[in-house]
Amino acid sequence: MDSIWSTIVIQMLHGLAYGMLLFLVASGLTLVFGMMNVLNIAHASFYMLGAYFSYQMLKMVGNFWVGLVVCPLLVGLLGVFMERFLLRRVHAGGHVQEFVITFGILFVINELVKWIWGTAPLPVPIPPALSGSVMIMGNVYPAYRLFILFFSLGILIFLAFILMKTRLGITVRAAVSDRDMVSALGTNTPRVFMLVMGIGTWLAGLAGVIAGPFISTYPGMALEILVDCFIVTVTGGLGSLLGAVVASFLIGQLSSFGILFIPRFAIVFAFLLMAVVLIIKPSGLFGEKA
Amino acid sequence: MKNRNLYFLVGIASAVLAILFPYILPKFQLRMITEIVILALFAMTWKMLLNEGGMFSFGHSLYFGLGAYASVLGWLHIKGLSFMSGILLGGLVAGLMAFILGAFLVRMSGTYFALLTLAFNQLIWAVVWKWRDVTGGDDGLGKFPKPDLLGISMKDPANFYYLSLIMVGVCLFICWYYTKTPLGNVVMSIKSNEERAKFIGFNVNASKLVLLTMLGFFAGISGGLYAQFQEFIATSTIDMGMSTNVLFMAFIGGTGYFWGPLIGSGIFVYLSEYLSSFTDRWELIFGLIFIIIVSFAPQGILGIVEKKK
Repeated sequence: MDSIWSTIVIQMLHGLAYGMLLFLVASGLTLVFGMMNVLNIAHASFYMLGAYFSYQMLKMVGNFWVGLVVCPLLVGLLGVFMERFLLRRVHAGGHVQEFVITFGILFVINELVKWIWGTAPLPVPIPPALSGSVMIMGNVYPAYRLFILFFSLGILIFLAFILMKTRLGITVRAAVSDRDMVSALGTNTPRVFMLVMGIGTWLAGLAGVIAGPFISTYPGMALEILVDCFIVTVTGGLGSLLGAVVASFLIGQLSSFGILFIPRFAIVFAFLLMAVVLIIKPSGLFGEKA
Repeated sequence: MKNRNLYFLVGIASAVLAILFPYILPKFQLRMITEIVILALFAMTWKMLLNEGGMFSFGHSLYFGLGAYASVLGWLHIKGLSFMSGILLGGLVAGLMAFILGAFLVRMSGTYFALLTLAFNQLIWAVVWKWRDVTGGDDGLGKFPKPDLLGISMKDPANFYYLSLIMVGVCLFICWYYTKTPLGNVVMSIKSNEERAKFIGFNVNASKLVLLTMLGFFAGISGGLYAQFQEFIATSTIDMGMSTNVLFMAFIGGTGYFWGPLIGSGIFVYLSEYLSSFTDRWELIFGLIFIIIVSFAPQGILGIVEKKK
């Protein structure tokens, strides 16, 4: 009996760690979507860039923590550039064009990564301070996963604070519900968009950096998280941060327990959840517009 | 009037050229032309879904790959399955899948639709990839029969080219004809104003579902033809890469023009062949070209041509 419970707890923790990682990526995606109505397909490749930058930084500086600060900022900067010089150009052309251009960017970043770093998975060691393990209910549990959990939780709280308590957050929330009105009231919406894009890609980069030692760093990682991320945003409701939190938690648990039961087709569970949610509520759990 | 005559002449000239290709072109060129013809049908199904139905599919290789796998599995496991039946089997399986998924998809609006198509594509891809006993997984499936058609050997590249040309021609004609039917008009009215179409009393979702099923069927047909063209299939026919390719083709040619997909697939096949002959990083160059075309010429090559006139 005891061992069953400890297995369940361990699996739950695994699921939580992955779920939090998913949340970091999905929150950026859903924030940008809620605000600009653009589904940034390239979002996942910014996550991948975070992981590769961190690998490079580790090789050059030799310190994981420097990378944790610097790499997401670089990724966020790239995101700002993308918004300023590509998305804004095609904004007048409508959704399809914006959509397609982010798709092209995903493709190009993928190819660039393959060119620069090759296609083989790259090893990113766990930082020495976190390489140990913790005893949980008689099981050895890697400390790094707990770090992912708490770090992401910290980011979640930070994000919620910004959105709920600061002036920027109020502007963003207002723009999500009616951006034309916000623009008419005198807010420089293009600048806010650029900033939100920067924050969104910064979050993706952050997730990439901490994912490096957890999931291996290879060119397929973008597509892998992209699908899970889409499931999260669709299930939770596009544009809803709360939806992203709940759905990432659910998907994390599902994929962690799914592997226990049918390892080969574990991915099916997440799809089933999504299908069920969408049949009942096509706009997702917390989404307003379908 | 003058313009009309010109179009007529160009049409006749291309038709004659298309018939003469096997006699005037070297073998590898004929192979490329065959590929272009087959992929043009695939690109047409994607383009029609967007342009006629207003639905943006990110996972279109699902139907293409499913058609390819269904055809090949048919030829492998059903004794004496003829060439045509195999192709049709692929089309039917893909169409059925489009119908089942479509029942679910047509209720979704733009972005959700696109996301879900991608997600379903990845799901089916994962199943094909992991289900090694049936699909061969990464190793793919080869050495399947290539039955004769009415006593004509399909192993001869020229014959296979003619067959592809005729089949794709018929499918394209049906696509064109569809846009002239009342049903096709309903779908187009939905695209321009869904609310209004609903209000007039059209069953919006059913019309979209018919379009999706039909295009899924045609995509499956092109998948089956492609399998016979390659004489080998692997997960690359059903993965994201193929969905990307079809998007490239449709956009390069121009999504607003009937012949856009054909032009697009032609440019795609020749450009990828040409670029890959002198650099390994051709996909990167391709992606950059694509971004440039989408940002500066959203109506593709045909859009540029029309503007020049």
